[in-house]
Amino acid sequence: MLLALLMCYAGFTALCLATDRHHGELLHSKPSPRRRQGLRLAGWALLAIAIWPAVSADGWALGLVEWCAVLMLSALLLVLLLPYRPRLALILAGVGLLVSPVAAFAAL
Amino acid sequence: MKEGFRQAMAWLHTWAGLVFGWLLFAIFLTGTLSYFKDEISHWMQPEVQAHAVDDARSLGVAQNYLQHVAPDAARWIITLPNSRDPGLLVMWQDKLDPGKRGNFNQKTLDPTNAQAVEARDSMGGEFFYRFHFQLQMPHPWGRWLSTFAAMVMFLALITGIITHKKIFKDFFTFRPRKGQRSWLDGHNAVGVLVLPFHLMITYSSLVIFMTMVMPAPILASYGGDARAFFNEVFPASNNAPAQGVPGKLLPLPALYEQARAQWAGGHVGRIAVNNPSDVNASVNMFRAGSDKVVHDFGSVVQFNGTTGELLQVSDEQSLPTLVAGGFFGLHMGHFAGPVLRWLYFICGLAGTAMIGTGLVIWLGKRQLKHAKTAVMPFELRLVEVLNIASMSGLLIAIAAFFWANRLLPVSFAERSGWEVQTFFIAWGLSLLHAVLRRGRQAWVEQLGFAALLFMAVPLLNALTTSQHLGVSLVRGDWAMAGFDLTCLASGAFLAWAAWKMQRRTVPQPKAQRPRPLHLKQEAN
Repeated sequence: MLLALLMCYAGFTALCLATDRHHGELLHSKPSPRRRQGLRLAGWALLAIAIWPAVSADGWALGLVEWCAVLMLSALLLVLLLPYRPRLALILAGVGLLVSPVAAFAAL
Repeated sequence: MKEGFRQAMAWLHTWAGLVFGWLLFAIFLTGTLSYFKDEISHWMQPEVQAHAVDDARSLGVAQNYLQHVAPDAARWIITLPNSRDPGLLVMWQDKLDPGKRGNFNQKTLDPTNAQAVEARDSMGGEFFYRFHFQLQMPHPWGRWLSTFAAMVMFLALITGIITHKKIFKDFFTFRPRKGQRSWLDGHNAVGVLVLPFHLMITYSSLVIFMTMVMPAPILASYGGDARAFFNEVFPASNNAPAQGVPGKLLPLPALYEQARAQWAGGHVGRIAVNNPSDVNASVNMFRAGSDKVVHDFGSVVQFNGTTGELLQVSDEQSLPTLVAGGFFGLHMGHFAGPVLRWLYFICGLAGTAMIGTGLVIWLGKRQLKHAKTAVMPFELRLVEVLNIASMSGLLIAIAAFFWANRLLPVSFAERSGWEVQTFFIAWGLSLLHAVLRRGRQAWVEQLGFAALLFMAVPLLNALTTSQHLGVSLVRGDWAMAGFDLTCLASGAFLAWAAWKMQRRTVPQPKAQRPRPLHLKQEAN
């Protein structure tokens, strides 16, 4: 479930950065169209792939429920962090991406 | 045309949300608490101590006890302890003439020393669970009202999605400290981000009561004989009648192992033994709800109690019961482990917060128009009073319920009834208080009082029982410790909310409205 959470959080952060407004707020620049496209693709891919660790660990029924729960929680966490601790929100996503291979390895 | 449609939907969202908001707030908050029903019950009956779960030992103790106390009972029912609910519950039904149903007796046992535990009389978490769909009303009415509220909730969700134009554009937007704007942002954020949960919980609540709400298909197919329908959907296990010849019951732990083997290691939740002293005794092992997401209404393995012969294993679920059981299981979350259970709890709080913020927005918008006049119109004042009483008042009532549990003497007559009375008396008093005080003061005072009550819960627990945080944390009794800690955290959050609102009055003289709680943190 941890791996799914990390991936979902990073995925939502990518999707968030793919919007002009939030990219401007967080990184103080306007994303190029290619960058926006890449972020959007990466974000959706992360969210979708996050199904896999949840389902492989706990089966389809419980796995899908966990994936949904993690999806909602990570989005909620990101949105609540953004206005108060924008740096932390980004750092968490980065750390999450870095840690997820370790978490994946531990789950194997 | 398009705008007209959207406006109509916005109108419906606004008014359906207002009229049912107060009730829905209470339903959501108490329903959210019900995810920790067993943990709350554990806290409210501290006499029942937590032990490491050992089913074989528990079962042996229960069988021994029942054989001593009620060898001639018509039926025994044993509910095994689990990590959430430490009580080993035994019930037995007295034998009476055929056709009459005997009384049920009930005892909680300590699985380590086989003694009956004299636990204080309390409804525990069951009260919140019952209240969230029965609303403390006589039998069918509470269910009907809460189901109707659920329909309105479903309507409000759908009209809300239509009304909210920029779901994807504003997906990540929350702008705090901007008054009315922030409330709307918050309302949208908790609404949209947790929307899958909201839709699931609301729709599944309708599925749970579908036979009550939409009986037409049953009446049409079964010719008005609803009982025939239920008999077919939930077949009672056919228990062999007693022969009148005494028999010796096999040790239950052995049968328990066989039942688990039938479910590939699944867990047994409850065991019913019919005619335990008869040669025709039958043992039914019911599967624990924590095993599967899809709720199985009667997963049972039946044995002959004296020979150990496997009599019956219930069939796989049919597709319709699978779908209904899926919604049922998702709503109740029996399958959720600790982490997922907390996520459920947070989602429930988000739903509660969505309703609360909606109510605040309704009032805030209209109050702006009357900012310059000294007196608020009656209808706005009414909404304000109801907002205060339904939100902060409910929090006080919940805390009062916990306090009553610790302060009412254990020997008090009708004790559990008085706990419930305290809940409603506290709620009523907070309504009175909201009527008497001006809006903002009422918010601050009630939130502050609720904060005080919640923060003092661990202290109260330490003074009145021997299971304070120092003990429960050391022993790893997470249900007990978690309850105390959650109360403490909720109290801190409410204190922050009260402080926020108090402070807000100074720099903002223009009638920017009360700043009440925004994410309802609640006790375990």
